[in-house]
Amino acid sequence: MTEALIVRGLDKTFSKPAVTDLNLTVRAGELYALLGPNGAGKTTTLRMVAGLTKPDRGEISIFGIDARAEPAAAKAITAWAPDEAMIYDKLTPLEYLEFVAGLWNVEPRAAKARADELLAKLGLASEARRRCEGFSRGMKQKVALAGALIHDPRLLILDEPLTGLDAAAARLVKDMLQERVDAGGTVILTTHILEVAERMADRIGIIAGGRLLAEGTLDALRAQVGGEGGEADGSTLEDVFLQLTAEPGGLVEAVA
Amino acid sequence: MSWTVPGSIPWLLAHEMRLNWRTFRAGRAGRGARGLVGMVILGLVMVLGGVFIALGVHGRQIPINPLSVSLAALACAVVFTLMLSQTLSASSEALYDRGDLDLLFSAPIGPGKVLFVRALGVAASVGTIFFLAAAPLLGPSIVWGHPGWLGVFGVLAALALAAAGAGLILAMALFALIGPRRTRTVAQVLAALVGAAFFLASQARTILGEQTSSSLYADIVARAQAGRLHPGLLVDLPLRAMTGQPLPLLAMLLAAVGLFAVAALALGRRFSDAAAAAQGAGSVRPPRTEGTSRRAFAAGAFLATLRKELLLIRRDAALLSQVLLRVLYLVPTALVLSRTASHGGEAALAAGAGVVAFLAGQVAGSLAWITLSAEETPDLLMVSPAPIRMLRRAKLAAALVPVAFFLLIPIAVLTWAAPMAAFWTALGALAASVASGLINVWHQRPGKRSDFKRRAGASWMATLAEIVVSALIALATGVAVAGFAPWGLIPLAVAGIVLLLLRRSDAQIARNLRTR
Repeated sequence: MTEALIVRGLDKTFSKPAVTDLNLTVRAGELYALLGPNGAGKTTTLRMVAGLTKPDRGEISIFGIDARAEPAAAKAITAWAPDEAMIYDKLTPLEYLEFVAGLWNVEPRAAKARADELLAKLGLASEARRRCEGFSRGMKQKVALAGALIHDPRLLILDEPLTGLDAAAARLVKDMLQERVDAGGTVILTTHILEVAERMADRIGIIAGGRLLAEGTLDALRAQVGGEGGEADGSTLEDVFLQLTAEPGGLVEAVA
Repeated sequence: MSWTVPGSIPWLLAHEMRLNWRTFRAGRAGRGARGLVGMVILGLVMVLGGVFIALGVHGRQIPINPLSVSLAALACAVVFTLMLSQTLSASSEALYDRGDLDLLFSAPIGPGKVLFVRALGVAASVGTIFFLAAAPLLGPSIVWGHPGWLGVFGVLAALALAAAGAGLILAMALFALIGPRRTRTVAQVLAALVGAAFFLASQARTILGEQTSSSLYADIVARAQAGRLHPGLLVDLPLRAMTGQPLPLLAMLLAAVGLFAVAALALGRRFSDAAAAAQGAGSVRPPRTEGTSRRAFAAGAFLATLRKELLLIRRDAALLSQVLLRVLYLVPTALVLSRTASHGGEAALAAGAGVVAFLAGQVAGSLAWITLSAEETPDLLMVSPAPIRMLRRAKLAAALVPVAFFLLIPIAVLTWAAPMAAFWTALGALAASVASGLINVWHQRPGKRSDFKRRAGASWMATLAEIVVSALIALATGVAVAGFAPWGLIPLAVAGIVLLLLRRSDAQIARNLRTR
């Protein structure tokens, strides 16, 4: 399987270290959930991958492209959707998608067709020509998600994509992400809703204090927490997560 | 002690003033030590001015005659309009910028009390600004022979209270007349117009086409000298109050407190209802449908960005009103300059052309600040593969399009009357606009669109450079229109040198943005 994202030795310090010697690998065609307590370094890590924050040290490779040496090439196949929707209140969803498609240099006719398709899929077709200023948070999130998908990215990075969404909208977004992964796309997301990660993620990375504590499938994480020879005892991801993050300095080797 | 009793008026007022102070400090944060040094220097210069005033008036009393009475009343009227401009703006903003209003209205405190304190906070903030301006100028005179001039501060307090009351009444009247959707923009425009009222009034005769113009002050003096000045009843009240006569001062204060109390107490309930309506206006009303979206998508990052920026400018009513107001301020100036320079046609034309170029530079600078520094989703642009230079060019072009639109009529008229002058004016306006735009490219500082009026956080050096370079290019334009084009190269060269000094590389711009 090809690697969609390889991060090696990533460091970032603001007033204090935010990310320290981080290594992680995301395989092509998988949904990878990056979990961690508040302030763990998840968003900083993803911002560095998206090219928004400059790392102090380390390597980032997206589908074999060195993202630090060739940022434009890496960005062309990547999409980033943060928890606060990056949209313009005074633009309509369709105008917003036109702008985003232009930024990614999508052919205008194909972009228009894709915009119509995405808006219909996200239940925004009737709102396509209304300004976003009166939209609810969930609607804005959906517009932003459509923007992230307009150029059909190979790697989709989402920071807390379900924040503020009602049950129906959350289900819609989860279904769309799953569809994308089923179609061979790669998705990395952060979430505090551990059930979502447990149900959707192919592999999970757990980060705390800027370091990756563990990485692998849920079963592998269970085994790791259970110690050597530990068995998959049916504990939930929440149990595993709390156990891993509760151990101060208790670094665990990544497991495949 | 009622001052410290939670929920009491003094307690709430202290909270309000603390927030105002922190907002003021936050606004100055970007200016750092240089800003502080600038303020200290300004303060010292004002104190020095105050000392000169004290020396000039020592041993003399201000005569109560038609001239002094009229001038004092005029000064009060000017200060009142300036205060009203601020209080009207603050009152309308209070309806929309919720801040802590939801918290206060949900607390077991009467809405009347909340409004009363908010209005008092507005009056105190506005009054403080004028107090701080007057203190260094009048302090030396008060200490040295004119203790009665302390009355000026009483008059300022009265004016601030009256302006707060009037501002509130106006804001609420607008709300009732035109509804929550339009009140904000109309109030902003009205506030700016009120602030500029005396300037515009003083230039009215010039605008209306008289050959000469004179200031209101000169007019009053001339009428006084001719013995034709007869101030009406109560017009002497401000001067008497300012010089410390207790009864006039008391009368002014009582009238102001009365107006303020009537406005604040009577409108308390309505204010809370209006605030709730303003809050709901955005979500309850059906969002506006845009028919333009039916056309084909723009091709490429440049066109898409240009189109997006133009849409955002066109849809920002507050921004457009502010740009129009700048034009409104400068058009009379252009007319005054051209008329005063005008006993010869060439000179008048040259001055007019220069002002048009300067005006173009200023408006382009403001719009470039909006498109470049007030980007709402900088992260979206950062994660896109579009080259940042291309995006900047598109944003700069978007800032220049409205300027070109605004210049179309003057240039067309000029082309008909004097084609060469039109050519030089168009060239000068283009050069000034591009120069101002480039300064904004090189010295970007992230800000909010809503901060357009103050360009909060904008580099003072860039703002000053914009004015200097626009003025130099305007001078070159005027010289060229007057028929001395080669001499115009001198100011143009100086402008070029200033631009070269201000130029920043992509890496420097990026570094500057990262460190903020």
